[in-house]
Amino acid sequence: MVNLTIDDKQVTVPRDATIYDAAKACGVKIPILCHDKKLHPFGGCRMCLVEVEQMKGRLIPSCTTPATEGMIVKTMTDEIVKARKLVLELLLLKHPIDCPVCDAAGDCDLQNLTYEYKVNSNRFTDEKFNHAIDYDNPLIERDMNRCIHCGKCARICDEIVAFGAYTFINRGIEAKMGTEFDGPLNCEFCGSCVSVCPVGALNSRPFKFKARWWALTKTKSVCSYCGTGCQLTLGSKDGKVLTTIYDENQGFHNGQLCTRGRFGYQFINSDKRLTSPLIRKNGKLQPASWEEALEMVTSRLRAGKSDPASVAALATARLTNEELFLFEKLFRGTVGTDNIDHSAGFAHEALTVGAKASFGVAASPSVIADVQKANLLLVVKTDAYETHPVIGFEINLGVKRKGIDLRIVSDKKGKLSRLPGAKTLVHTPGAETALFNALCRSVIDQGLAVEDAAGLAELKKALTDATPEKAAAVCGLSAAEITALAKDFASAEKALIILPIGLGYPGHGSALASAAANLAILTGKIGKEGCGLLIMGEKNNSQGAVDLGIYPKSTGLSAQAIIEACALGNVKTLFVAGENPVVSYPNRAKVEKALDQVEFMVVSDLFLTETAQLADVVLPACSFAEKSGTFTSLGRRVQMVRQAIKPLALAKSDFEILNAINSALGGGSFANQGAVFAEIAASVPAYQGLTQAGLGDEGAVLPVAIAAKLVPVAGEAQPTFAGKLALVTGSALYHNGTMSRFGEGPMYVCPDGYAELCVADAALLKIAEGDLVTVTSGAGSVSLAAKVGKRVPQGVVFAPYHFGEGSINTITDGSAVTWVTVGKK
Amino acid sequence: MSSAPAEEIPAEEIDLSEANHIIDKYLTLPGNLMPVLQGIQDSYGFVPRPTIDLVAERLNVYPSQIYGVLTFYSQFHMKPRGRYIIRVCVGTACHVQGAERIVDTFFGRLGIGHAETSADLRYTFEKVACLGACGMAPLAMVNDDTFGKMTVQKVDEIVETYNQRPM
Ligand code: SF4
Ligand code: SF4
Ligand code: SF4
Ligand code: FES
Ligand code: FES
Repeated sequence: MVNLTIDDKQVTVPRDATIYDAAKACGVKIPILCHDKKLHPFGGCRMCLVEVEQMKGRLIPSCTTPATEGMIVKTMTDEIVKARKLVLELLLLKHPIDCPVCDAAGDCDLQNLTYEYKVNSNRFTDEKFNHAIDYDNPLIERDMNRCIHCGKCARICDEIVAFGAYTFINRGIEAKMGTEFDGPLNCEFCGSCVSVCPVGALNSRPFKFKARWWALTKTKSVCSYCGTGCQLTLGSKDGKVLTTIYDENQGFHNGQLCTRGRFGYQFINSDKRLTSPLIRKNGKLQPASWEEALEMVTSRLRAGKSDPASVAALATARLTNEELFLFEKLFRGTVGTDNIDHSAGFAHEALTVGAKASFGVAASPSVIADVQKANLLLVVKTDAYETHPVIGFEINLGVKRKGIDLRIVSDKKGKLSRLPGAKTLVHTPGAETALFNALCRSVIDQGLAVEDAAGLAELKKALTDATPEKAAAVCGLSAAEITALAKDFASAEKALIILPIGLGYPGHGSALASAAANLAILTGKIGKEGCGLLIMGEKNNSQGAVDLGIYPKSTGLSAQAIIEACALGNVKTLFVAGENPVVSYPNRAKVEKALDQVEFMVVSDLFLTETAQLADVVLPACSFAEKSGTFTSLGRRVQMVRQAIKPLALAKSDFEILNAINSALGGGSFANQGAVFAEIAASVPAYQGLTQAGLGDEGAVLPVAIAAKLVPVAGEAQPTFAGKLALVTGSALYHNGTMSRFGEGPMYVCPDGYAELCVADAALLKIAEGDLVTVTSGAGSVSLAAKVGKRVPQGVVFAPYHFGEGSINTITDGSAVTWVTVGKK
Repeated sequence: MSSAPAEEIPAEEIDLSEANHIIDKYLTLPGNLMPVLQGIQDSYGFVPRPTIDLVAERLNVYPSQIYGVLTFYSQFHMKPRGRYIIRVCVGTACHVQGAERIVDTFFGRLGIGHAETSADLRYTFEKVACLGACGMAPLAMVNDDTFGKMTVQKVDEIVETYNQRPM
């Protein structure tokens, strides 16, 4: 620690602190333009100049100068003010000063400092910049005339996003912030650069001319897409969410968001939202009153109480904990059926079955903060970046800044593979469990296993045949590669396995979770910081849905069994809260047929989804922006979702809907969602003692008591079919589930599904980028646009699952790999 | 003389083996981007776009970063350069002495504009700022040879002379 004096205040700061950090620590505000706490110091703008008694004669940039013992710093003298004014004058010289039409006005560091330092005239004159504005993409407008060359966009895109879209180009007066070949921006559109740009040079186009910054109501909430649980601030006005506002102090991620969180909010005020309840009359869905719709639903469920096995209910893991709790109470409690499930059943088994068996709890033993604390990260599938992009940023940071050893086992290469030093083992599709079994076996063979692990003897026996040599053929890897990875994982001081799960990853089930858990347990990587297994649930409240028991507990049917029971007529009443099985469950034709056949189906949703179109009653539900409650992230953090706008049209939150039905059926009612949380805290052990007020801005991490046990699981070889390609499904970077299709941002960038092939296969099949191809499996066929690239290996096709049109579940059946033929249409 | 600007020469015709060879040579050297780009420029006479993509891929650097380097240092060119580089000064003194007419005449005779290269790769034409010999304004240079007190007639003479020179 070092002690110094800043503006007559004594302050003690760590050795690596700068003068700027020290000032901040004692509440002295130094103006900055090019500095950002998340990025490497740049020291380019000279706005942060200060005087240091020991370094007299010149002004010192505080953001790059280390604080040293005994320094005496002044942050505001006449000379400093003069210097800062000069900096501003020079910045304003070529700047267009078009604040009246700039969307950054009010939130612009240049404008605010110009005002603060009263720079109302300029001693210099020069021509204004005359750069062409980049309007080429729908999300980010680049007006380099307003750029102050702070370099933050380039640094964030490199250091955190690891995309590297920007660089300073040209020299001298021609110099500007530019892109590759000075072309239009073509990137991930995460918006990180927009969020850190201190001026209006980088703008969010969907927000352009929507509202003045100061007229927005700002509401802190949580992203409703993936399970990462990024905090965000919604900017709303006149009952509409108009933008997401960057707040560098929000969440573990310091306000960073991915393209979905940043630009995917438009689904909230989409004109495709349902505006009224609908009831099927004469075969057609017709607008109806809430009274009529709820009466139909309650009378149906009331009748169902006498035959609970004929009632089933599916919920989406997008609902709040409070809503899920009510859902469970209504169906398992009041109606008395155990036929309840979510995420197609298979997409939560890694937690509800795998983690439960291996750790004694249906949750990850590790949390998000462990990512950057590890020495070695073992990522299952490069898709972990696409499924959870902001955790991807954590991986980028860990690898680039801390030199974490990144290992990936995947059926294709991806963005993570390009990180410095990253090693990707591309294995045969579907061989993940076999690979982890072989890694465990190799750890044991190399004498690297901890000796007292529970279940070691059984595991050893089960792995008799799982030698790296035998697994090599199954996995398409060499025994040496498997052995080396086992050794490196075991010998790393802190090693963490990252496993994304979700509807696009049918192979990431309980067996893989336990196989991965075995490796962590066997190598003693459990219960320590920076170690363990992080199972990444797909949806914003995947962990909450598991915690609140939205899956069959005793004799109930799982999601897919429910679909089958609908087809057989055993389930007569189906309540669907926000799930969209038609597009997201395996085998679309089968699902459609079943839902067509079920006697009575109610769907509550924001949109008239492919599933809602088949319903007898459709209830318009609220988005996360129209309600309050809590979500639990994949890192077990319970966070507050806060209502930003009034419900749209006649929409009601699922809380209101479920509460009304439950009370009509005599199951009691809650005064408000807060009362439900109190009930959760009282009845769900992990949530004990929590209050919504106590969650604050940070949220609370649920405790877990891990009882680690090795659980033998079978890792079988996938059958292969000559002449066929292995179809693997997954997430596209811009999408999450099927809801992102209603976000303009994601849809601008990635509007349709596609089939991704490698260059060699494409050449063999005479397919070029963009060609329409037919992908055919035993279950059916779909037409998709071809994408040709270097990510997938030969023999593999990748397709994202989110889309309704040409949905990939038309041809998948829930197995890890679907064998297909691909032909040009 | 044909007048298709050189950038219309299809990029696919570029043989990447030499670039690969240069990358191989420096692959493990820290800070290898500059020597690799210099090597490519020396070998191809400029840095062709496909080589930029290749370098980005093989050295695992962002294409944007390479582009930044190439545009920062004036030694790099991303278009093929002519055997004879004709520079006409448009600095103040030369401007006053009618440099623009000289420039326009060259444009007419060569069929290429500023910073362009003729399709036969004989000429690259550039307008430049003060060349430091204002006394001889208006001034032109062809490679290292200087031509002072330029006139329209002298332009014709220069073009005729260099048309005869070997490639
Ligand atoms: S949007 Fe994201 S990926 Fe694109 S340039 Fe900005 S920071 Fe980079
Ligand atoms: S565009 Fe914005 S962030 Fe990037 S250098 Fe210019 S002012 Fe800075
Ligand atoms: S989609 Fe996931 S990673 Fe992206 S902002 Fe939302 S919570 Fe964060
Ligand atoms: S903020 Fe310190 S130099 Fe820019
Ligand atoms: S202005 Fe032409 S040589 Fe100086």
